[in-house]
Amino acid sequence: MRFEIRGDNVRTARILSQAAFLLLFSFLFLQTESTGQDELGYPVKVFLDFDPLILLTSLLASHKLTAAFLLSGVTVLVTVVLGRVFCGWVCPLGTLNNMMGVLRRRNYRSRGLAWRRAKYLLLIFLVGAALFSVQLAGLVDPLSFLIRSLSVGVYPALNHALVSTFNAIYDANPPGLVQVSEWIYAQVKDPLLAFRQPYYRQGIVMTSLFLLVLGLNLAERRFWCRNLCPLGALLGLLSRYALLKRSVSEGCTECGKCATVCPGAADPDSPENWAITECYNCWNCDDICPQNAVRFGFTGKKSGTAVDLGRRRVLAAGAAGAMTVPVLRAEPALGHENRNPMLIRPPGSLPEREFLERCVRCGECMKVCITNGIQPTLLEAGLEGLWSPLLVPTLGYCEYRCTLCGQVCPTGAIRRLSVEEKAKTRIGTAMVDRNRCLPWAHSRPCIVCEEVCPTPEKAIWLETVEVENQKGARVSVQRPRVNLELCIGCGICEAKCPVEDRPAIYVTSIGESRRKENTLLW
Amino acid sequence: MKRREFLKKAVIAGTAISIPSGLDELIRSAFAAEAADLAVVTGPSPEKITRAAIDALGGMSRFVSRGDIVVVKPNMAWDRPPELAANSNPEVVATVVRMCLEAGARKVTVFDRPVNDARRCYVQSGIADAVRPLGVDVPYMDERKFRDMSINGEVLKSWPIYTEAVEADKVINVPIAKHHGLAKLTMSMKNWMGVMGGSRNKIHQKLDDSLLDLARFIGPDLTVLDAVRILLDNGPQGGDIADVKKTDTVIAGMDQVAIDAYGATLFGMSGKDLGYVRKGHESGFGSMDLSRMVIRKLTLLS
Repeated sequence: MRFEIRGDNVRTARILSQAAFLLLFSFLFLQTESTGQDELGYPVKVFLDFDPLILLTSLLASHKLTAAFLLSGVTVLVTVVLGRVFCGWVCPLGTLNNMMGVLRRRNYRSRGLAWRRAKYLLLIFLVGAALFSVQLAGLVDPLSFLIRSLSVGVYPALNHALVSTFNAIYDANPPGLVQVSEWIYAQVKDPLLAFRQPYYRQGIVMTSLFLLVLGLNLAERRFWCRNLCPLGALLGLLSRYALLKRSVSEGCTECGKCATVCPGAADPDSPENWAITECYNCWNCDDICPQNAVRFGFTGKKSGTAVDLGRRRVLAAGAAGAMTVPVLRAEPALGHENRNPMLIRPPGSLPEREFLERCVRCGECMKVCITNGIQPTLLEAGLEGLWSPLLVPTLGYCEYRCTLCGQVCPTGAIRRLSVEEKAKTRIGTAMVDRNRCLPWAHSRPCIVCEEVCPTPEKAIWLETVEVENQKGARVSVQRPRVNLELCIGCGICEAKCPVEDRPAIYVTSIGESRRKENTLLW
Repeated sequence: MKRREFLKKAVIAGTAISIPSGLDELIRSAFAAEAADLAVVTGPSPEKITRAAIDALGGMSRFVSRGDIVVVKPNMAWDRPPELAANSNPEVVATVVRMCLEAGARKVTVFDRPVNDARRCYVQSGIADAVRPLGVDVPYMDERKFRDMSINGEVLKSWPIYTEAVEADKVINVPIAKHHGLAKLTMSMKNWMGVMGGSRNKIHQKLDDSLLDLARFIGPDLTVLDAVRILLDNGPQGGDIADVKKTDTVIAGMDQVAIDAYGATLFGMSGKDLGYVRKGHESGFGSMDLSRMVIRKLTLLS
């Protein structure tokens, strides 16, 4: 008797695998939050470490390799042997698309080859740009996209919805119900909810894009995976000569049932046109085949074809990618030309050019930032730097002894710093706005900025001066002065300044350690 | 004269005497009868000096009754480890908590509204880890539990205050003695900024009066000032070990003005150098006149 792997067993296994990886992903996402310890405790960025699109484009753009990237070799190896199992069995965004597909149960039909080709052209575009050092892959890489969408948009919104519901019940205090609601709140608070309500600029943009990707399943199931995903395209290319093959026996009556269940639109009903590069190894076709004519195995004749991209399209996409370089760089966003004082990068960030070559905009640093101060850029770093991280001290300062952003950065765009290194890393410099500061402008005591200044010898010192107040009385006030040698630009002074709307002390990027051209003292 | 009486007399006279370890019981019974204004105990073990100081006031059962809900409010406002003397000593806090439990408290809660991130402050101060094993809750403050309260002070008329700190049966203040740029020193009266909600950074414009209003409003049942390590400069969060002085002392009492006045002497100052102490004394809220109060001083050798 021969052991046979049956399609429905495979289906169960696949669903379990998808569920397990989605749960793992969600768990790690939720763990991307401070516990108060110096170290995070979980490898929350590990999904990105397994992402060969990030590896490839980072390598091309920055010519640098970090050890964690080597894990994506595993994904490459698996794909070369088994095909796109990552898409069918692992990818959390794929799984979400899969789940959304139930909204459109019968529409497994493809919109045609032209659409499927789009993802390859997008991939070639990204590689073309990366070859000339512009790293844009993160904007559309499915894992980056998912983490960013959740971190900056979806999770804050869900958290807000839940917490405000609990709070509304708490305030209304209906007997009986409030006890139940508070009990549930206590149960979900630690494991599921954010420690403090997160707020992000452009959150609505990220949420909308995420809903758009999910919504595209209404037009065509797995629209994103089939037609747009550049990681899927890369894995598709790697699976072109996969060892695990699908063969269709003579028994096939060309009934076409398999095509109705194929998530990848790989044309399984046509032995000539079946595209191995579009196959997610879900084995739905094997499962549904009434003739039992479909077989996956390492032996047997290979059938099928690859998606024909067309030489001119490939060249055009690559050239377009390459062209983004001069087009983007012709704006004054990089190097000496960038004088944007608000571009305060997280501590440990590389010099701007290298930073942008590496940052994949995954939003991990924004998710983990203990004060919620790291936000996505809009145009502060030029269009090339879209959605890269910057610190907005009025939303959250940089906590002196916290090093979490560097711990979660998957590409080393933000270096991992020790607490000691961190204490010496300048991200900008604070300056006092003497026209708004209480002691300076209004002869009233304050010193809050000095009080909260975290450097061991305070970077804000107080100059005691006797002045006249509005009543003509001589009063002694302590005026804050910044010591440029000591200030690291953490922004806690700005965050805690009682002149709340526009703080009387504020940080700009001048003096940051990472950029020589932006130094102040010498 | 019996040994016990001798001990009593010697201490009441304000003489610092040295007591070998193992005599805690003896000290407790020796002091039980007398009312003292302040207890000042010095020694190498934060736990033992805390215990001795509270015992010298008559023991925890004088302040906490069986079944009480107790709030213990340390200073854990800063993301700093204990060595840097920015937060109350975790052993002192844990000892106070343990003594509350021994006195029969039904529930003890420890919290603060920190300046730095609460998670880091609770963990890095060492206080959460020191107290949680006792089965006591160290919750992060719940924004919903700040309620506008009418304080009716000189300058603080009303302010959002943490309800648990007001509603508890007993409240125990466990501050640390530190340098502060505006208040000069922060000790027990200023520690109550940790139960203020809202934009408390605005009260610095009238700090001394606000601190007095606040300390009077909260009116703790007991204050235990941690001076195991004191911060001499760059306060209130410090960061340089060179600014820390080991004084191995705990000061306990009920009068916050008196405690802060005594605390000032550790820094070479006196109560009248501190605006809020002076105002506290003048308004009759407490006394900074150390010469006119009964101060029990003890030195433990181990």
